Amino acid sequence: MGRKIKFLSILLILGALLLTSTGCNSSSDTSSGGSGNLTFAIWDTFQRDGMQEIVDLYHESHPDVNIEVQVTNWNEYWTKLEAGITSHTAPDIFWMHTTYILEYADAGILANVGDLFNPDDFSETALACAKGTNGEYYGVPKDKDTIGLIYNKELFDEAGVPYPDANWTWTELSNYSEQIYQKTGKYGFLAYNDAQIGYYPFVYQAGGYIINEEGGGFTDPATEKAIKYYVGLQDNDWCPDQNYFAQNSPGSTFFSGEGAMFLDGSWNLKNDLTDNEPMIGKWDVSVLPKCPDPPKGDGRATVSNSLTYATTADNPNLDQVKDFLEFLGTEEAQRIQGTTGTAIPAYKGLENTWVDWFKQKGYNVNADAFVQMFDYAQAMPNDQSKPSWQTSVTATLSQIYNKDLTYEEGLETMQGLVDDAMVGNS
Amino acid sequence: MQHKDLRRASDARWGLLLVAPTIIGLLVLNIWPFIQTIYLSFTNAKRFGGASLIGFNNYVRMFSSSEFWQATWNSIYFCILTVPIGIFLALLLAVALNSKIKGKVVFRAIYFLPMVVAPVAVAMVWNWMFNSDYGIINQILGGAHIYWLTNSHLAIISCAIVSIWSAIGYDAVLLLAGLQNIPKTLYEAADLDGATGVQQFFHITLPMVSPTLFMVMIMRLMSSLKVYDIVYMMISETNPALLNTQTLMYLFYRESFTIGNKGYGSAIAVWTVLLIGIVTVIQFWGQNKWVTYDI
Repeated sequence: MGRKIKFLSILLILGALLLTSTGCNSSSDTSSGGSGNLTFAIWDTFQRDGMQEIVDLYHESHPDVNIEVQVTNWNEYWTKLEAGITSHTAPDIFWMHTTYILEYADAGILANVGDLFNPDDFSETALACAKGTNGEYYGVPKDKDTIGLIYNKELFDEAGVPYPDANWTWTELSNYSEQIYQKTGKYGFLAYNDAQIGYYPFVYQAGGYIINEEGGGFTDPATEKAIKYYVGLQDNDWCPDQNYFAQNSPGSTFFSGEGAMFLDGSWNLKNDLTDNEPMIGKWDVSVLPKCPDPPKGDGRATVSNSLTYATTADNPNLDQVKDFLEFLGTEEAQRIQGTTGTAIPAYKGLENTWVDWFKQKGYNVNADAFVQMFDYAQAMPNDQSKPSWQTSVTATLSQIYNKDLTYEEGLETMQGLVDDAMVGNS
Repeated sequence: MQHKDLRRASDARWGLLLVAPTIIGLLVLNIWPFIQTIYLSFTNAKRFGGASLIGFNNYVRMFSSSEFWQATWNSIYFCILTVPIGIFLALLLAVALNSKIKGKVVFRAIYFLPMVVAPVAVAMVWNWMFNSDYGIINQILGGAHIYWLTNSHLAIISCAIVSIWSAIGYDAVLLLAGLQNIPKTLYEAADLDGATGVQQFFHITLPMVSPTLFMVMIMRLMSSLKVYDIVYMMISETNPALLNTQTLMYLFYRESFTIGNKGYGSAIAVWTVLLIGIVTVIQFWGQNKWVTYDI
C-alpha cells in the first residue's frame, strides 16, 4: 500500500515538473517603480548601438531618466514579451513587429500612441505597420525597409556577365545565374524558402497578393505564377535546394563566395559589411528584377516592412514612457537611425541620412537602391490572423518544395489555411 | 504518556515547518501550473488568455491530426534510439573508468564535459560536422554526400547521436558512483572461486549496480520523451525532414508560443505526461524482474 502511494506521488511530481513549462514562465525583467529607470527591449543585436545613441541623447535632456537597452534574439523575444505582459512585468518600451502588432493591439495590450506623433511626418507603408485593426496607432513608427538584390561583382566579372540593374527581369535573373554557374562553378541566385526575403516580392511583382480583406491570395493566378517561378528555381543546378538551405544560410553562402546573388533586407546592410570584412568592395546592391510578363501591374515591386516602438496600456509609468516614445518619433531621434547606418528612418525625408552613412564610411555600396524601391514598395501583408496561419503556410510551402504536394494542391491548402484562420479570428 | 504525545506533536510541527519551503515551492511552481495546464487544455485560450471552455475539442483535433501522431511516434522512436544504446555505452564507459587505467581523472573530466556545455553550442558544432556539403563527417567518409540533417530517415538518428553523446558522460558518472559502492570483498571472493572477468561482471557488477542503472534509465527515458532543445537547434523550420523529426515538445512549443494556441498546446502537454506516465508505470512494474536492492 505504502509503496503504491510513494509510486503515485513520484508520478505526480514528475508530471508536474513537465507541465510547469506552460504555466510558469517568469520574466527576469523587473518592473520599474517611479525611480526613473526604464527598460527598452529590442531583438536585433546589430541595432543596439544605434538605439543606445538615441537613449543617450534623451538622457542628456532628461538626466533623471535612465533607460536600459535589452537585446533578446527574435524567437525568445516574443516568448519573453508575452510572458512579461501576462505577468505585468513587460519591458517599458519595446519594439513591435508587423506580424504581431494586430494581435497585441486587438487584445488591448498596447497603449494607444496616436497622440504622440504627427502621421503626416511618416511614410505611408510605415504608418500601415503601426495601426491596430481599428485603424488607431499602437506603435510609434521606427524605421522602414525594402528587400534588395545583393550580388558578387567578382563572380559576375569572372563569368563575363553584366551587373544587375533596373532593367533586369526574371529572365535575366535565371539566364545569368545559369551562365555564372557554367563559367565559375558557383551557385547563381540563392532562392530559398522564405516569405519576406523570398517569395513575397516575387508575388507582388507578378501582380498577385498574399491576403486581402476577403481572404488569402494563394490561388490567384498571378500569385500562382510567382510561386511556381520562385519555388521552381531550385530545380536548376545553379540554385541549391532545401537540403542545402536547411544547413547553410544564403547569407553565409554568399559571403563565403559560393553564390553570386541573394535577397537581403536593408536593415542587414550594415552588418553585412561589418560582419564580412574580407568581402567589402567585392559586392554591391541592386533593385529587384521585375516580372517580365505580369498578369497584373507593371512587374515592379518589393515589400516594405516597418518596426514600431510600443508600450503596454497598463504600464505604471505611462506618462514617463510616453514622453520617451514621443521623443523616439521626433526628427532628431529618427535621424540617429540614419546617421548610424542602423536602419532607414520611418520619418519622411530622412532616407538619405542612412544612404550617406555608407558613403561617409567609404563603403562602396549602392545603398540608394534600397531607398529607390520605396516608389513601388508594397507594405508587408498583414492581418490579425497571421500568427495563426504563418507557420502552417510555411510548412505547406515546404511540402511543395519537397514535392510531397503539387503546386495546385499546395496552394489550395495554403489558401484554405489562411481563409480558415481569418474566419476563426473574426 | 501525555508528555510524549506533546513532544511528538511539536516534532511534527517542526518537521512541517522545515519541509514547508519545498512543499510551498512545489505547490506554487509545479502543482498549480499542472492543474492550470489541464484546465487550459479544455479551453480555447489564445496568447493573452480570454479562455472559454470548449470541452474535448482540443483533444479531438489533436487525435485526428496526422502531424500529432507522427510527433508522438518521433518522440517514442527517439527514445528507442537513445535510451538502450546510450545506457549501454554509459555502462561500458563507467566500467572502463572504474578499472585501473592511467589518467582516470582526465578521462572522467573529458567524458563529463559535454554535460557542462550549453546544448545550443553542442548543436551548433554538430550541425557543422553533419553539414552535407562542408561538414567533416562527409569529408572523412571520402567526400560522401549524405544528408545527415535533412534526409527524413536520417535526421532523427543524427539528433539521437548528439543526444547520446551529450548525455553519456553524465550517466557514466552516476553509474560510476554505483560501481564504487560495490564492496571489493565480493570480487575477491569471486576471484578465489575462479570466476572470470565476464562472469564477475554479469553476476556481481550488474546486479549490484542495477538500482543506479534503473534510476538512470528512468531519467533518460523521461528526458528523451520530452526532447526539444536538440531538435529545435538542429532542424530548422524549413528543413525537409521536419515532419519526421519534430517531437511532441517541439509541437507543444510551436503551438503554445509561436502560434499562440495555449489551449491546444496544453492538450499536447497533457498527452505527453500521460505517455511518460505509462512508460514509467511499465518500468516500475518491470523493475522487480531485474533490479536487486539487497545483496
